[in-house]
Amino acid sequence: MAHFAQQEAQDGVRFTFDKWPNSKIEASKCVVPMAAVYTPLCRFPAEKQVLPYPPLRCRTCSALLCPYVQIDYMGKLWVCPFCFQRNHFPQHYHHMNENNLPPELFQMYSTVEYAPPSDRALPPVFLFVLDTCLIEEELTFLKMALKQAIELLPEHALVGLITFGTQVHVHELGCAEMSKAYVFRGSKEISKETILDNLGLSPSRRAFQPKSQQPGVAVNVRDGAFAIGVNRFLLPQADCEYTLGALLDDLQRDAWPVQPGHRALRCTGTALAVAAGLLGACVSGTGARIMAFLGGPCTEGPGTIVGKELSDPIRSHKDLDKDAAPHYHKAVKFYQGLSKQLVEQGHVLDLFACALDQVGVAEIKVAVERTGGLVVLAESFGNSVFKESFKRVFEAGENALGLAFNGTFEVICSKDVKIQGIIGPCASLEKKGPSCSETVIGQGNTSAWKMCGLDNSTSLTIFFDIATSEQSNAAAQAAGRPFFLQFLTQYQHPDGKMRIRATTVYRQWVENVGNGEELVSGFDQETAAVVLARLASHKMETEEEFDATRWLDRSLIRLSSRFGHYIKDDPTSFRFDPEFAIFPQFLFNLRRSQFVQVFNNSPDETAYFRMLLNRENVTNSVVMIQPSLITYSMQGPPEPALLDVAAIAVDRILLLDAYFSVVVFHGMNVAQWRNAGYHNQPEYQSFAQLLQAPLDDAQAIISERFPAPRLVVCDQHGSQARFLLAKLNPSATYNSAQGPPPGGDILFTDDVSLQVFVEHLQRLAVQS
Amino acid sequence: GPGSMEGSVDASALPRPELQDSDYPVQSSPANCHGRYFQLTCNALPNSQSLAARWHLPLGAVSHPLAEAPLNEEVPVIDFGSSGIIRCRRCRTYINPFAVFTDNGRRWKCNLCNLNNEVPSDYYCPLDQTGRRTDVHERPELSRGSVEFIAPAEYMVRPPMPPVYFFLIDVSFSAIKTGMLQIAVDTIKSCLDKLPGYPRTQIGFLTFDSALHFYSLKSTLTQPQMMVVADLEDPFLPMPDDLLVNLSESKSVVEALLNSLPSMFKDNLNVESAVGPALRSVFMIMSQLGGKLLFFQSSLPSLGVGRLKMRGNDQRVYGTDNEPSLRNPEDPFYKQMAADFSKMQISVNLYAFGDSYVDLASLGTLSKYTAGQVYFYPSFQPNLSGEKFRYELARDLTRETAWEAVLRIRCGKGMRFSKYHGHFMLRSSDLMALPAVDCDKAFAMQLTLDETLLTTQNAYFQSALLYTSSNGERRIRVHTAAAPLVSDLNEMYRAADTGAIMMLMSRIALESSLVSKLDDVRQQAVQSKLVRAFREYQNLFGVQHPLTGRLIYPESLKLLPLYCLGLYKCLALRGGHTNATLDERLFATFDMMVMSVPRLLSLLYPVMFRLDEHLLHGDADIKAIQRLPLTSEKLDARGAFLVNDGVRFIIWLGSVLPVDFSIQLLGIEAVQSGDFNKAVFDGNNNVSKRFATLLKSLRSRNPAVFQQCHFVRQGDQPREGFLVLFNMVEDRPAGLVGYA
Ligand SMILES: [Zn+2]
Ligand SMILES: [Zn+2]
Repeated sequence: MAHFAQQEAQDGVRFTFDKWPNSKIEASKCVVPMAAVYTPLCRFPAEKQVLPYPPLRCRTCSALLCPYVQIDYMGKLWVCPFCFQRNHFPQHYHHMNENNLPPELFQMYSTVEYAPPSDRALPPVFLFVLDTCLIEEELTFLKMALKQAIELLPEHALVGLITFGTQVHVHELGCAEMSKAYVFRGSKEISKETILDNLGLSPSRRAFQPKSQQPGVAVNVRDGAFAIGVNRFLLPQADCEYTLGALLDDLQRDAWPVQPGHRALRCTGTALAVAAGLLGACVSGTGARIMAFLGGPCTEGPGTIVGKELSDPIRSHKDLDKDAAPHYHKAVKFYQGLSKQLVEQGHVLDLFACALDQVGVAEIKVAVERTGGLVVLAESFGNSVFKESFKRVFEAGENALGLAFNGTFEVICSKDVKIQGIIGPCASLEKKGPSCSETVIGQGNTSAWKMCGLDNSTSLTIFFDIATSEQSNAAAQAAGRPFFLQFLTQYQHPDGKMRIRATTVYRQWVENVGNGEELVSGFDQETAAVVLARLASHKMETEEEFDATRWLDRSLIRLSSRFGHYIKDDPTSFRFDPEFAIFPQFLFNLRRSQFVQVFNNSPDETAYFRMLLNRENVTNSVVMIQPSLITYSMQGPPEPALLDVAAIAVDRILLLDAYFSVVVFHGMNVAQWRNAGYHNQPEYQSFAQLLQAPLDDAQAIISERFPAPRLVVCDQHGSQARFLLAKLNPSATYNSAQGPPPGGDILFTDDVSLQVFVEHLQRLAVQS
Repeated sequence: GPGSMEGSVDASALPRPELQDSDYPVQSSPANCHGRYFQLTCNALPNSQSLAARWHLPLGAVSHPLAEAPLNEEVPVIDFGSSGIIRCRRCRTYINPFAVFTDNGRRWKCNLCNLNNEVPSDYYCPLDQTGRRTDVHERPELSRGSVEFIAPAEYMVRPPMPPVYFFLIDVSFSAIKTGMLQIAVDTIKSCLDKLPGYPRTQIGFLTFDSALHFYSLKSTLTQPQMMVVADLEDPFLPMPDDLLVNLSESKSVVEALLNSLPSMFKDNLNVESAVGPALRSVFMIMSQLGGKLLFFQSSLPSLGVGRLKMRGNDQRVYGTDNEPSLRNPEDPFYKQMAADFSKMQISVNLYAFGDSYVDLASLGTLSKYTAGQVYFYPSFQPNLSGEKFRYELARDLTRETAWEAVLRIRCGKGMRFSKYHGHFMLRSSDLMALPAVDCDKAFAMQLTLDETLLTTQNAYFQSALLYTSSNGERRIRVHTAAAPLVSDLNEMYRAADTGAIMMLMSRIALESSLVSKLDDVRQQAVQSKLVRAFREYQNLFGVQHPLTGRLIYPESLKLLPLYCLGLYKCLALRGGHTNATLDERLFATFDMMVMSVPRLLSLLYPVMFRLDEHLLHGDADIKAIQRLPLTSEKLDARGAFLVNDGVRFIIWLGSVLPVDFSIQLLGIEAVQSGDFNKAVFDGNNNVSKRFATLLKSLRSRNPAVFQQCHFVRQGDQPREGFLVLFNMVEDRPAGLVGYA
């Protein structure tokens, strides 16, 4: 698997299969789709140079010049590997020869970044949208977090503020005389035109507006995109830090009374619509993000997810299943509309949902995911999950997220490769073309997508199809012939300038699939597991009556029949190649995971988990599916352990990384020693080190992950231990014939163990 | 038509008001209230309908419940404490000097309905030999016609409201351009410590152009918070509280707001005016408490509900049946809004400014039905009318005000008040709702006889104003009056009160101008009334005094012809399209509908005197002024004349007035440039000094308004015509009636 990691490091891409069968039929026999997980802005190695000029493009298919072109040095020509068009090199490439090549023609520059010179640096725009229907304590936490964040923003970043509760208040930060806000009724759906009109931003009203109180900010964008509202509602951080601070100090909880037995009137939908309208009028077509901070469900106006009376419960998965969530579809429709608007404008919606109750992440998800927004779900604005994550958004340095804006993503592929679509944080730009497959998965029917927000870890899953092989193509697909894919990402870099990232890769067709040996050699089981997880999640959301467990089981059985080695009808003869060895275990854990077993969670949590699953790279996603486990003991250095109840021992500490949570679990004896304070005694220094090591490792995980996971420190038999136990393979349950090993644990579950699952699988796989 | 007044009259022979004429007739007895509070048009009332029919002049009364009393004549305040206020069980009349105690003091007979009422034991007092209570002189309610009772809890439907001042201010382009905003804000700021009712007084602000601007003035804020609502279809409050705050708690925030407002809007180019939505919003804020709304408007409402059209300068409408519609509100919104305001104890004072038409007919409706007042500053310029605006706003803010008031005037059996005239809303057939009322508001009402013959000797009247004082007391101000019932018309003539008659006559005429053409009003509501009354008199006495060719009139009504002529020519009713702008006419109408009798009389027949002599002779005592007949013959080209109509001072400068005098009066620059706007009154010389003293003295006698000086040079047309010649009541310009 090392070469997958190496490819990932160079190009940020991993494929389910590295070699593709040359026909649709063979491809469908592979069960796992031909797909790639691509991280457009994966950290660009420091030793590689960013090219300070614009790329050359093929004049037919507009693919970029890349290491896989054929070059005619004499004729000063290059042949496009995608469409075979011959392109002339322009004058400034004419000095080039075999020994003097521009970087983009080197193999190591299969991924290349262009930063064409530009005198325009667009400031990033942050529009904060604050829920004020909070208890005093939460509001204080939120204010503190926000003030900190504003301090961290670069001086030229444009900042705006909207607060909302029963109504929406758009704060005019450029008003010198007093604090001034435009107020919108929360209960009513307001058209985009009305929003602009009411803010004095529509063209018809502009003539009558007060002259701007401040000279225009140092931005100058084509088409007057930074319109008049910029210096009223969006101000450079340096100019409004004080105003904002004072405003936040004076900011009160929503003043409208809440009737007893009722929820606060909270018009989240209207507030977000107003925010989108404001950005649309002021900074359309340049990078901007709405950062929404929600402390409860929307109960007023569009986007309402629950009634005002507390006796009316917030929808559960069961309600959604039975179609008994009266507000759900209406709210989702509203947010689909909003996401469309945001995508057109190129703006991001980030969601920071901090409440004990649900706030409507499930409904808002579409707008966050289509725009590539960040999402953080926590129980409180005082909770470290929120605080740590939020800080990370603005922090510079090696853990910086590298927030980029207003991107477009394009895929160019060789003739017989078709694109089915993308699952991940993007939206179709509806650019239809010959490379679009008729089968659509996710955002399909296009070869270009909008990525309003993207960062170093944003990943996309691209599903491919293979064009039905015809005689004329046979030659092109001859064994060993390569095919090419080029991923093009144009985006607004954090420095405010437009950049282009291009990754060009080639893979090979497999002419004679035969028993699939060649395919197996290119199988990336981690990527495959992640792709199946995303596909299953996607189907659960979009296909009615979809039974994910059954579908995964059948896929695994089919895959085993296809690629396993066995004697028909002899389960004991079954054997997988190493390329497939841990795949059943991934699927076993996937079946038990929050992505499939949604009923253990709220729809908001499910939506949250899925959004992260869909936007992380393979390595991170694998951890979400199958947590990693490390054991610590006095006997030796920490070592990885099987995700099995058998890992529990009284004298061990376990560190479970389940991605969304990190659990440090002390065996009973360890806990007792700790309670007795041994670690404070000099002679037990090694015990102190044992206690400390997993905490340090946990902290290391937390500090480089976004959103920050929840840290759970617990003891064996303690109530919090369930966070560990739920993830372990139930090899020993209360049903087991033999009891637990001494000091071990059993699980109170009826779930089958991995062993039983695999046996069952093998039995079915070998059936003739 | 002209000449229908019989005979030709020598103008110089006509009686004219003397300067010292008392405005009110002498009280017949201390048991009667003073005429300044309540005055019948005739102090002897007809005892039969047939006699009433021969009277021809208005029969009724003027009520001015809060008229300012001279020092030491204030209305005594009585607290009955727990025993409660003594009232007639049946007709609810308050105990008064005309009540007769019987049964050795254990009962009292109501003078209005004759019911015998029990005297409560703790109010009991034995009677003396003449049948009068022995404590009558310690009890003002038994000896004085005007008293004020402190009302116990049962007179309250809710806790007494605090004084509430809410400011609705137009901040559109024209409001900024005229400088209105700055003066309004400065004046409000200077009055903050003088608003009645400290420390309970509440205050709030809303400004508007095409959007509504609310201000949170919460006391804990460091600066006010402005909230803009642009939803004009369906305006809403941006927060539940803090839009109306306690002034003493939030004073610093209020001051910060007032300091910021002018600069906040100094560059506002917004020309729109969303008056209707703004009023609706104010209503939402004020409806919980009620109070006074001061509404500053400088353009025609252009957006949202209640938007209005230009309609003021269509001269073709004059003389047609559509003419009166111009003087009525265009949109029913304003009357409905006024009704809502009244219901919620909100009184609207309109301050209108404007270069052009603002439709006072519509906007003024808000004041008309809420016991409010209309102020109007056409073509407002700070250097010309700034002082007037400042003075009038300050007076509005600081004068003693009665809150959430109702006024009812009771009378004895057989008669009733049938029609009421003034600014109020009738809540039932005889209850006037006055959300806020003050010393500058008078009311008039017509009396009707219900029975063909009344057999009692006297008629009794009692006006009762139930209100909340600024310090939060519920009070009832009671004025009681009696008049004999007579069977002889001559007795009525002897007891007639010209001031009250003119008041009622004016208001009836002004109201008829809302349904009739001006021509018809002048003919029917003024001229023919007078003619019929005098013909009746002539029939009575003409035989005995056959003085042919002479108009004869009773002594008590000797000034009536002159005042009627004044009414005929007053701004509200005079001429046609070209003689006054619609807004000016409507303003005059609104003003006359609230003003007191003395103000009305000086408006109808202004005081004119020769100014240059007065100032040069060094006698600044206005008592020495020689009042001149209002005829242009008296205007001497060598002199300067001052005409005082109680609304403004008009100073006419003769064409050959010595330049020295002009320079002393106006300063050299004004004289040289001929521009009176450049006049300076620096008190540098005796003329200037005395002029200042004179103005001060005249103004102090008429505190309800600020009389601005208007200079006009002889022959400066059309200004001379509008300002001076029209006031020459006795002249007879073409087409107008006069004595000739
Ligand atoms: Zn090409
Ligand atoms: Zn009675």
